[in-house]
Amino acid sequence: MAEVANMDTYASKRRINIDDAVLVRRCWQGDSAAMEELILKYQNRIYNVILKICADPDDAAELTQETFVKVIENIDNFEGRSGFYTWVFRIAVNLTLNYCQRNARLGFRSLDASGAKAEYSSQSNLALKEFLSDDSSPDPAAVAQNKELYEIAVESLMKLDDAQRAVVVLRDIEGMNYARIAKVLDIELGTVRSRLSRARSKLRQILEAILQ
Amino acid sequence: MKEIPNMDEKLNSFIDGELPARQQTEVQRLVHHEEKIAQRLQQLQKCRILLSSLPIAEAPPQILENVKASFARKPQIVEQPLVFDERAGTRHLLGRRLFAAAAMLGLVGILTAVVYTIVAPETVTQGPVAVERREPAPTVDVVKPGPTIVAAPFSGRLELRTSYLPAVVAFINRAIEDNIPSDEWIASDQSNVKKPHALICGSESFNLLLAELGNIWAKLDSAALFVDTEVFGEQVVVDAVTAEQISGIVNQDDSKRRMEVAKDFAVLNNMAESLPGREILAAIDDTMVDLITPPKPVLTSNQKTVKKSPIRTEENKNIHLTITVLGGN
Repeated sequence: MAEVANMDTYASKRRINIDDAVLVRRCWQGDSAAMEELILKYQNRIYNVILKICADPDDAAELTQETFVKVIENIDNFEGRSGFYTWVFRIAVNLTLNYCQRNARLGFRSLDASGAKAEYSSQSNLALKEFLSDDSSPDPAAVAQNKELYEIAVESLMKLDDAQRAVVVLRDIEGMNYARIAKVLDIELGTVRSRLSRARSKLRQILEAILQ
Repeated sequence: MKEIPNMDEKLNSFIDGELPARQQTEVQRLVHHEEKIAQRLQQLQKCRILLSSLPIAEAPPQILENVKASFARKPQIVEQPLVFDERAGTRHLLGRRLFAAAAMLGLVGILTAVVYTIVAPETVTQGPVAVERREPAPTVDVVKPGPTIVAAPFSGRLELRTSYLPAVVAFINRAIEDNIPSDEWIASDQSNVKKPHALICGSESFNLLLAELGNIWAKLDSAALFVDTEVFGEQVVVDAVTAEQISGIVNQDDSKRRMEVAKDFAVLNNMAESLPGREILAAIDDTMVDLITPPKPVLTSNQKTVKKSPIRTEENKNIHLTITVLGGN
């Protein structure tokens, strides 16, 4: 009991999630099983965010792996000023954005992603038209089942620039609040608001353009 | 519709539940009253739903294994227990510090010595130095003498031959007595006329003497000036020399120039002697414009010639001349 109480005090001081705090502490003591546990806990979420930003499964897997390597290498430097979750996502997003910038400089971005107008089938157009014109609030689960809408969503997301895409992914896919997004991306809260607003406005324009 | 600044930002924050309660109420009111705003809100919500409906991708199962493998590939640092002898280390450190301190002191000493040799005055007064405070003296304009040009010393011998030996010797003696201070000459003995007059005098006295001697030049059978050169025992002999020529030679400031002038006179006098007539001598005298003609003393009253003051400086006595008077051939 005393150990649990001490752990609570420690966790409240370091302001990190209690489960993560325990695992991180065990990592500091050289417990590799704790590190494996952390990797297994976050690998899907990290991979998902990276994939949504870079849009390439292989690159996403590699970047996820690289993220955890960096986490293990720097776990001793983790001071607990932010949550472990925030810290890991910051590493992942920074690595991914650097990767995107590097690819953009080298011209590896696909034509679809760089703004070329994609051709959609009439079925896709119809699905999108129905989705947008439906006055009732659509069910996200039903939308997820719609293959045409999925393709359109992925394509539209890739037409945003990297910074806007990162904000949208962290908010709408990972479900972070603005404050956490600001910490992960190391930007001001107001910047998060404005960047997210611009990103969604642009998405709306992209979707309208598909229908025309 | 009333334009609201940052409406899109507010609508997005409203969707995400990131607006303060008061603004949330405001947006709700606007949405109820403004159809366009309600429509915009719906579009933004659909965008959000469209993205959030994207399925969550699962990470490949090999990620954990790959992470482990990447660490396994990295070279392992074999940590060998290091044995430290703290006392030896402390001693070594102390020794290094002492050495460094000694080196620094040595450098400071060398630097101080160098600075001292540069800055310190040549004569250093030992002990305390008393400084006398004096009232500033009234300013007096002192005319400083210009730089003294000391002529090169002349050394030589003047050999005069005459048929009127006693009279000439007597004249010379008197002239020397009148113009040269007594401590600057050794008079010839009347009984021994062959004894030379040895003069050590300044150029001013010598010029006065020479001017007076010029009066007896007509009584001379010959006159020769032997000018000593810088080489011991070597002389330049100027035959048939005149008083003016002697003055021109003796009064040269530079010994080199003096030799040149003496040689010129020697050559010219020899040529003049060998040529019929004496006209060339006059011509030679005219060409020697740079020679100094000794001023002849002019008595303006019946006042007796005042003897020169014996107070002279040694620096002025740069003429060493021996005058020898011999009987005629």
